[in-house]
Amino acid sequence: MVFPNGTVALKEANLEIAQGEFISLIGPSGCGKTTLLRLLADLIQPSAGSIRIGGKTPEEARKSRAYGYVFQAPTLMEWRTVLQNVMLPLEVMGVPKAEHKPRAERMLALVGLGKFARHYPWQLSGGMQQRVSIARALAFDPQLLFMDEPFGALDEITRENLNLELLRLWRETGKTIIFVTHSIPEAVFLSTRIVVMTPRPGKIETVIPVDLPQPRNFETRETTRFFEIATLVREALRKGHGFEVSE
Amino acid sequence: MLPPRLARPSALWGWALLLVGFALLLWFIAAWWHQLEPASQGHKLLLVLGGLLALLGLGRVAQQFAHTPNPLVGFTPAALTLLLILILAEAWLRAYQVPPGLIPTPSRVLSTLLAVRDVLLRDAFQTVVLEALIGYLIGCSLGVITALLVSRYVFLERGLLPYATIFSSIPIVALAPVLVKMMGIDWPSKAAIVAITVFFPMVVNTFRGLTEVSPLSLDLMRSYAAGELQQYRWLRLPNALPFIFNALKLGTTLAMIGAIVGEFFGANGQGLGFRIQIEAGRFGFDIVWSAIIVASLVGIAWYNLVAWIERRLTGWHVSYR
Amino acid sequence: MLRLSPNLVPMLVVALVVLVLYWPLMYLANIPAAQRALDTGAVLPCKTALECATQLRSPVLPSPQQLWQGFGNLMFPLNSQSAIPLNAAVTALETLVGLLLAAMLGFFFAIGMVASRAFERSLLPWIVASQTVPIIAIAPMLVVVLGQYGVQGWLPKAIIAAYIAFFPITIGVAKGLKSPDPLSLDLMKTYNASSWQTYLKLRFPASVPYLFTAFKVAMTAALIGAIVAEISTISFQGIGKMLAENSRASDVVAMWVIMLSSAALGILLVALVNWVEHLATPWRRVPQREGGGR
Repeated sequence: MVFPNGTVALKEANLEIAQGEFISLIGPSGCGKTTLLRLLADLIQPSAGSIRIGGKTPEEARKSRAYGYVFQAPTLMEWRTVLQNVMLPLEVMGVPKAEHKPRAERMLALVGLGKFARHYPWQLSGGMQQRVSIARALAFDPQLLFMDEPFGALDEITRENLNLELLRLWRETGKTIIFVTHSIPEAVFLSTRIVVMTPRPGKIETVIPVDLPQPRNFETRETTRFFEIATLVREALRKGHGFEVSE
Repeated sequence: MLPPRLARPSALWGWALLLVGFALLLWFIAAWWHQLEPASQGHKLLLVLGGLLALLGLGRVAQQFAHTPNPLVGFTPAALTLLLILILAEAWLRAYQVPPGLIPTPSRVLSTLLAVRDVLLRDAFQTVVLEALIGYLIGCSLGVITALLVSRYVFLERGLLPYATIFSSIPIVALAPVLVKMMGIDWPSKAAIVAITVFFPMVVNTFRGLTEVSPLSLDLMRSYAAGELQQYRWLRLPNALPFIFNALKLGTTLAMIGAIVGEFFGANGQGLGFRIQIEAGRFGFDIVWSAIIVASLVGIAWYNLVAWIERRLTGWHVSYR
Repeated sequence: MLRLSPNLVPMLVVALVVLVLYWPLMYLANIPAAQRALDTGAVLPCKTALECATQLRSPVLPSPQQLWQGFGNLMFPLNSQSAIPLNAAVTALETLVGLLLAAMLGFFFAIGMVASRAFERSLLPWIVASQTVPIIAIAPMLVVVLGQYGVQGWLPKAIIAAYIAFFPITIGVAKGLKSPDPLSLDLMKTYNASSWQTYLKLRFPASVPYLFTAFKVAMTAALIGAIVAEISTISFQGIGKMLAENSRASDVVAMWVIMLSSAALGILLVALVNWVEHLATPWRRVPQREGGGR
């Protein structure tokens, strides 16, 4: 398998990520969290040093289609219907044609958009579009999911709903997720571990395990433990560079 | 001073190939300068070789300039391309001894251009200054005024604007003969054609500029208790400026086309379009090409003049950041 | 056409005003000419200048009756060699073939420019410069040269139409091929898509709206090119031939009729592009409300 017990290295920091983990990368703008994710995804190449994902270089991982990537924006293709958008990776990767539609429909049902298969992207709200892009990333069943501030452009209420939905998806599919965010509550609520990054130069400050019980729900956000971990993260961020992190 | 990347071996190879290719072609042109019969197969093969070498070299050289930020240095590949095309045409036409009455060689066009420059300058004055420029100024100002009215009165917007859009798909050549018949063969008829052709794009563009104002800016003006006149002065007109300049730039080309095509249907013995029409009819293609070169130079100069004014006036616009 | 409904009444009113104004304008323009004709003692079926103003052989502005008669004369019989329908069809065919040729060439050059910076650097300045140049000036010469090499009939006209329509299409397609945002390109990269797949799934579909925008400009340009080409040579068919003929014969009414017909042809051809665009881009069939901050 692609990601049985992969190792992600950045500078001196070694990070062991077990299968099925939900890792958040958090830090202020410019700390290199998106850069790190893009390095992992082989969208950019490191100027020095090397990166390994489960014994493979990022390029090999990309070429074996080991991961799905969800961007800040939905990046749906406006000329394709919602269903066709989810089918896109299957077409590119040469999955047998007969499987395209059933698989895409299953993914859409998974994100709760089964009824909107025939709509065009512009007919959907921003949150729904981002759910389509998640369905698209899951469509070819990669073990690993990279998510780069996928809910950053959405309003708080939509974001909390989608957080809940993402957790459900993660439980049901057993994927490993690496999730970039700059929201402390989001990171605490979603993750099994939070990687706190600090800028200039971008480095991993510390790794905070999140021991909130599963399954999490809206009440989880009200617990004392939730606030304790959030405080830990906030302090780690502050320690790294000495200025207040706006949340 | 050569940029450091030129020192790279592949770039040097490119320049070398280019030079060898050019040398071959130029040598052939020099050797064939006074010949009257077509070149031998061997010579033609040599030409093909020279052309291919130069093309290969050009490709490599152009690679080196692919990411040059300086526009003047970045223009080098384009300049080399033009040079290559001219030299190739010259050599090719000489090798096959194509009659100059059919396709004149570049060198012949150049010497003709110098020889008849007085006539062409008089033609250009008639076509550009009297016809194109006057028509352009009239058409553009009327266009802006119409757009102001149309943007102010919703009834005019609904009643007139659809026509303006429709009119832009009408071929001006069909309009030209009618106007020439109506107003005579002197320059005013052509100026009228030009005015009509530049008018419609100007109305459509200016209208868009005047009305595609952000609602927030309008609210801001309202919060200042700005009157309608002030709204135009401080918000709508500045907002429309980039749109107006787009139409002005498009208009330079349309004006030249309108004037030249108009002259195809009757002129008083002067004008670039008239010259082209007459000389093409009697196989004087060296003069035709010369006239085209003059028209092109004027067109490019005019366009760039407008673009320069635009940069001075709308330097704040996104497209210049 | 439902979309036009708020415009319909104002448009009709404007059209009516133009029509009403046309009558006095026509008299104003024609009476001096009619007076001159009467003074020279020409044999006319009318007595006063006012009467003659609507019946001149070559009026400054033709009267509506004359235009109506002219239409009757030039439209029928439909299949006549000297009637407008057949000639307009020939010109339309030349224009459409030209547009097709231009689209193929345009795609070729645009792909070259998107795929290779070197190619772009070598050619783009000239393609842009040619936009500011009255390309039409080359048409008369091109027809003669093509004719010398045996390319005759409707083909050289189509080639010239293509030649003139080629530039806006190239620029438009290149813009369209470059229009996908960097994230979409990254997305294709995460799929390890080949560059061919990126073109097929992303760049080509993204360029379609740009292609149609370019087509609308290019269609008018191609029509002008076809007509100029017809004028510049000995043609046996086409709107341009009719224009040239009647221009030589100074048949003013016929020229007006041909002008109006070719205007209609231009509008029709652009409407055709709009229609095909509507069919080809189902995702843009948006009941979008008109934008603009008013």
